[in-house]
Amino acid sequence: MALIEVRDIKKDYPSHHGTISIINGVSFEVADSDFVAIVGPSGCGKSTLLRIIQGLERASSGEIRFRERLVDTVSNEMAMVFQSFALMPWLSIKENVAFGLTARGWTPEKIASQVDRYISVTGLVGFEEAYPRELSGGMRQRVGLARALAVEPAVLLMDEPFSALDALTAEGLREEVLQLWRDPDLPPEAVILVTHNIEEALLMADRVVVMSHRPSRVLAVVPVTLPRPRDRKSEAFYELTDYLYSLITEGSPPLSAPAKPVASEPPPAGPGDLQ
Amino acid sequence: MFPKASPSELQGLLVLINEHKGTEDVARLADDLDLEIDEILPSLDYAETLGLVKVVDGRATLSDTGRKMLSVSIRERKTILRDLLKKTTLFKTILRALESAPEGKLTEDDVQRLLAFTTAPSDSYVLNIINWGRYAELFRYDSDEHVLVAVRSRVQGRSPPSSPPSAPGSPGARVSPTADNPVSDASNSPRDLAHPASTVAA
Ligand SMILES: Nc1ncnc2c1ncn2[C@@H]1O[C@H](COP(=O)(O)OP(=O)(O)OP(=O)(O)O)[C@@H](O)[C@H]1O
Ligand SMILES: [Mg+2]
Repeated sequence: MALIEVRDIKKDYPSHHGTISIINGVSFEVADSDFVAIVGPSGCGKSTLLRIIQGLERASSGEIRFRERLVDTVSNEMAMVFQSFALMPWLSIKENVAFGLTARGWTPEKIASQVDRYISVTGLVGFEEAYPRELSGGMRQRVGLARALAVEPAVLLMDEPFSALDALTAEGLREEVLQLWRDPDLPPEAVILVTHNIEEALLMADRVVVMSHRPSRVLAVVPVTLPRPRDRKSEAFYELTDYLYSLITEGSPPLSAPAKPVASEPPPAGPGDLQ
Repeated sequence: MFPKASPSELQGLLVLINEHKGTEDVARLADDLDLEIDEILPSLDYAETLGLVKVVDGRATLSDTGRKMLSVSIRERKTILRDLLKKTTLFKTILRALESAPEGKLTEDDVQRLLAFTTAPSDSYVLNIINWGRYAELFRYDSDEHVLVAVRSRVQGRSPPSSPPSAPGSPGARVSPTADNPVSDASNSPRDLAHPASTVAA
């Protein structure tokens, strides 16, 4: 039984010329203890898909199932980490981590102990009373992580969580996320990571879902069985990188003939850059 | 000498070297992240200063401590870092000053003055030092008053019965939010800090 089933999701938005199709039938599954990365060009609906998976947004058709149950409202079993961190600047780190917990109907004692636990496991002890402005990007994203983990989600949804960080900090945080994911005593059980960075997907994931330009569909679901920690200069890593790039470039609409006459369609990305 | 690097970057560097089975050319490490060598040098230098990495002939190799650090949890990494920082002249000096300071507090200017003996630090330099010490839980920092506060006050008013009665005055009696107990030895119960049960805050 899959932990999450994404079944033939479609998403359209109304426009002046009728409807614009953003996501055009996306299906894949997330297993227990899975780490799934979703890669795809800018605007193909990755963020939208994550929101649909969590139940924050409705699909035009198709369905999401969590442990076989239909997700028809915001799921308590999932939590999101954002590229922009999405912290409240007027709240302390502690209060930011507690933010999502107040809606859960927990006692103040339970909330306080959850907050302490996840501040501790993400390495934020010492910054409890600090405000976001005092923190570096890396520390801010740890707060984003602590806030998401504090609800003890089965599935952590991450939307380009490392894109706003400098390269070394991102490298460190990726490893910390993997460490938390692997730890059987800590949430989450599974991770869905959205990224436009193929290398990042291959460094972290068990499987990579490759999406096409919009209206997007799944071009392939590529298993990644390389041993961890992954050596990005290994031959196997190169081969997988090449394979994913070739999928994406071949899956792109040719320059001269866009698949859909959408005025705002960005030009297809060249290899090496999905942005 | 203090780096223009953050604890997060330092740990990222260790992770990166570990991806290369613990040893790699510095140039190649930088290339992995599409960085110039001088962008990873501050982290590398400080990792070397702390004894986490050895650099010989342009090749960086994780030390036993460096490897150890990667094998433990995020929480325990902070403990290791704290022990390493405590041995550096810089943090030794700050901690000594903090112990002797009235109310266990130092202002940013105090820190600047301490450093002026050996270097000419800029503002961000001081803030970076404070950030490291804070991350490693060597002291607390009150950003409203811009003061470093000795860590002992973390257990303000909730000092567990088992904690050694080392500080003069009774730490257990104080409950003010920026607790101001004099601290005789900030390092005598570092485990308290890493233990979630004793970090329940005010
Ligand atoms: N409420 C809306 N109404 C109309 N169009 C929308 C709405 N929300 C999103 N879109 C469009 O849907 C498309 C997909 O957006 P989404 O943010 O999900 O893509 P993405 O793959 O996450 O992009 P990026 O890589 O830039 O983060 C975009 O072109 C966006 O403009
Ligand atoms: Mg997006």
